[in-house]
Amino acid sequence: MKRRTALKSLALVLGGTLSLPAWANAWNADTLSGNLNQLVSPDQQALLAEIVETIIPATNTPGAKDLGVHRFILTMLADCYEKSAQNRFVEGLTELDETVKAHYGKSFVTCSPAQRLEILKAREEAAKILPPEKEPFFPFLKNITIQGYLNSEYVMREVYKYELVPGRYNGCFPVTASAKK
Amino acid sequence: MANLNTDSIKNRTYDAIVIGSGISGGWAAKELTGKGLKTLVLERGRDVKHVTDYPTTFKNPWEFEHRGQVPLEITKANPIISRCYAFREDAMHFFVKDQEHPYVQEKPFDWIRGYQVGGKSLLWARHTQRWSDFDFEGPARDGFAVDWPIRYKDIAPWYSYVEKFAGISGNKDGLPELPDGDFLPPLELNCVEKYFKEQVKSKYSDRHVIISRCAHLTEPQAIHHQQGRGKCQNRVLCQRGCPYGGYFSSNASTLPWAAKTGNLTMRPQAMVQSIIYDDQKGKATGVRIIDAITKEAIEFYAPVIFVNAAAINTNLILLNSTSSRFPNGLGNDSGVLGKYVAFHNYRARVSGSYDGFLDTTTDGRRPTSGYIPRFRNVFKQETDFLRGYAAGFSANRGQYQSRTGLGAELKENLLIPKLGNWNVGSHMMGETIPKETNTLSLDPTLKDEWGIPQLRFNIGYDDNDEKMVKDYLEQISDMFTKAGFKNITASDSKQAPGLDIHEMGGARMGKDPKTSILNGWNQMHACKNVFVTDGACMTSTATQNPSLTYMALTARAADYAVKELKKRNI
Ligand SMILES: Cc1cc2nc3c(=O)[nH]c(=O)nc-3n(C[C@H](O)[C@H](O)[C@H](O)COP(=O)(O)OP(=O)(O)OC[C@H]3O[C@@H](n4cnc5c(N)ncnc54)[C@H](O)[C@@H]3O)c2cc1C
Repeated sequence: MKRRTALKSLALVLGGTLSLPAWANAWNADTLSGNLNQLVSPDQQALLAEIVETIIPATNTPGAKDLGVHRFILTMLADCYEKSAQNRFVEGLTELDETVKAHYGKSFVTCSPAQRLEILKAREEAAKILPPEKEPFFPFLKNITIQGYLNSEYVMREVYKYELVPGRYNGCFPVTASAKK
Repeated sequence: MANLNTDSIKNRTYDAIVIGSGISGGWAAKELTGKGLKTLVLERGRDVKHVTDYPTTFKNPWEFEHRGQVPLEITKANPIISRCYAFREDAMHFFVKDQEHPYVQEKPFDWIRGYQVGGKSLLWARHTQRWSDFDFEGPARDGFAVDWPIRYKDIAPWYSYVEKFAGISGNKDGLPELPDGDFLPPLELNCVEKYFKEQVKSKYSDRHVIISRCAHLTEPQAIHHQQGRGKCQNRVLCQRGCPYGGYFSSNASTLPWAAKTGNLTMRPQAMVQSIIYDDQKGKATGVRIIDAITKEAIEFYAPVIFVNAAAINTNLILLNSTSSRFPNGLGNDSGVLGKYVAFHNYRARVSGSYDGFLDTTTDGRRPTSGYIPRFRNVFKQETDFLRGYAAGFSANRGQYQSRTGLGAELKENLLIPKLGNWNVGSHMMGETIPKETNTLSLDPTLKDEWGIPQLRFNIGYDDNDEKMVKDYLEQISDMFTKAGFKNITASDSKQAPGLDIHEMGGARMGKDPKTSILNGWNQMHACKNVFVTDGACMTSTATQNPSLTYMALTARAADYAVKELKKRNI
C-alpha cells in the first residue's frame, strides 16, 4: 500500500507512470508481515489499540490509536523481533486483560477511559520496582508506543516539522529562533 | 557460416572494454568515449537509471514500514552486509545478499558490495581528500611495500580535472599534508566544531580540524548543469540515490555523460569471468563473461581493457585469467598478484559531550562532517608505529523528550522537544601497512552460482595497527580533554577489516616489474593493453578516503592509454 503511495508521488514528480522494478522487491519484507494475524487475534488487536490510546490519548490532537500506533507495533513485532519477544508481548497482553477482568469484572476495552488510565498507571508503578526480567512487558510496551507515536506522520510533520528537503544548513542557529520555528 | 561468425565477432568487438561501472569504471567510460573510442562497459549487476531507479528517494521516514530498521529475517540471513552502517531499510536494495555471493574467510573480513550499474558510487559517503607527497613518499621513506612510481606532481593536474567535473566542495586550508583542490564553496563547521578547531590550533602546532572535502554541488557550475545535475538540497538521504544529482555518482554524472557521446554500450548482467590473453599476439584480446541471467558464456573483444571491478573483484578477475603465458594470473610474472592487500583501520572511536554553546543549535542538515588530517609521523618518524591516522570529527546537539507520565501528561511531554548538551564524536581512519601475508587467492574448489571461483581472504591487523589504535584513542581523548569536553569515552570495536570499505592493493603499481603488477600509468608491466585503475592498483593506502584518487588515476591512465593506442604502442 505504502509503496504504491510513494510510487504515485515519484510518478507525479517525474510526470510519468512507473512500475517498481522487480529488484527493488527482492529485499522487501511486505510478505513477512503476513504472519501478523497469526501473532494476535482481532480481539487482541482491538485491546492493543485501546491500550496505546490510553498511553497517548486523543486530546485536541490525534492519539496513538488514530495514528495507527497499534498496527505499527504489530508490524515491528512480526518483522523485527525474535519469536521469544513476540511471545512475551502476546502473553503480556493476555495477562494484563486477565488481571483487569479479575479486578473490575470486565475487560480493559469495556472499562471507562479513567479506569483504563488508572490500570496502566498502577501497572507502571508496579513495574518501576521490579527488575527488568520480572517485568518484560510494560516498559517495552510504553517505549514502542512512544516510538510509533514520535515516528508517525502526524507528529513528524506537524509537530517536529520534518523536512524532506531542507535546502540549508546553519551550524550556529540561535536556540530561541529554533524554538520559534 | 564463416561470414556469420565474422559478423558475430565484429558485433562483439569494440575499441575499448571497461569492466565495472562504479566510481572508477564510470570515469574510464567517460574518458574513453570522450576521446572517440567505442566503449563497452560490462557490469555484473542490474541497470540502475538515474532517478527512475531510486525507488525510495522521495519517501518520508514514516512511509517506511519499519521506520528504517531492517527486518530480522533479512539481518539474520545477511550478517555481513548488516554490519554496514548504510544497510538500512531505505537503501538495502543497493547492497548484495551474503548468501548469493559467498567467499571464504580464512580470517574475518566484512566484504561490503554493491553490484549494479553505478556500483558503490550510489552508496558512498562522498568524502574526497587529496593525497600529498607525504603519502606517495611513505613506502620509500619508511621502508615498506615498494616505492610509488608516481608523485603528487604527476597526479595533481588530474585531481583538478576530476574535481571540476565531479564537483568537490571544500575550504582551501593551506595544509601541506592535505593539498587544496579546485573546490566549490565549503560546507560549514558548526559552532562547537569551530570551537574545537580553535582549541586544537591553540594547543597543538601540527593538528588541524577542517570541514571535510566532499563530492557535493554546493554551487553547481555550467559543467554540472550540462550533466543535468543541480545544487545539493541538504536532504542527507544520499544512499537512496539523489534525484537532484546533488552528489557525485556514476549514475548521475559520468555514465550519462559517456552515453551522450554515442560511443557507449552498457551491458548490465554481464559477469566478467576472465580476461582473454593471446599468446601469439602477446596481449589481451578481450573478455569472457557469463550472462548473469542465462548463464551463457560470451566473449567480447577490444584492443584496450580497463579493469574497474573494485579492488577485490579486480584481484579475482586477474587471478582467474590464466593462460600458458600467465599460469598464475594475468600479468603476474612477479608473483605479487593478490598480495600486499591493505585497507583502512576504522576500529576506534572517541565520543563525549560539551556543555557550552547552549544558546545555539543547528538548523537544516549537512551531508558531511569535520575532518582531522593525519598529524602523526607526517614530517618525520616520531612514534613507535609507522604512519598515522586521519579522523572524522563532528558535533551535534541532541534532542530529547521527557517520557514521564501516562495519558495526556505523557503526550504533552512528548510534544515538547528539549535540547540536550552537544555531543561530540570522532572515528579513526588509520593507514595499514601492505604485507605480503595479507592475501586474496582463489579457492581451488569452491565456486559461485556462475561457476566463478570463490575468493579466499587472509587479511588481518598487525602490531602496528594495535599501537596505532592505542595512540588514536589517547591523542583524541587528550584533544577532547583539552577542549573541555566531558564524558569522554574511548572505544575499540575490534571490527574485522572490510567495514572501512577502503580495500586496496593486490595488483600494485611500482617501478620494478619484478615486484609489482602495474607501472606508473596503471598499465600492466607484462600485458601492455590492460589497465587497472581501481583500488587494486594502490601501492600503499595513506589515510585519505581513496575514491578521489581512483578517479584521478583513471582519467590519467585513460589519457595515456589513448595516446599509446594512437602511437600503436599497444
Ligand atoms: C557506505 C559506504 C561509504 C563510503 N564512503 C566513502 C567515502 O566517503 N569516500 C571514499 O573515497 N570512498 C567511500 N566508499 C568507498 C567507495 O564507494 C569505493 O572506493 C568506490 O566505489 C570504488 O570505486 P570502484 O569503481 O573501484 O568500485 P565500485 O564503485 O564498487 O564499482 C565496481 C563495479 O564493478 C562491478 N563488478 C564487480 N565484479 C565484476 C565482474 N566480475 N564483472 C563485471 N562487473 C563487476 C560491480 O558490480 C560494481 O558495479 C564508501 C563505500 C560505502 C559502501
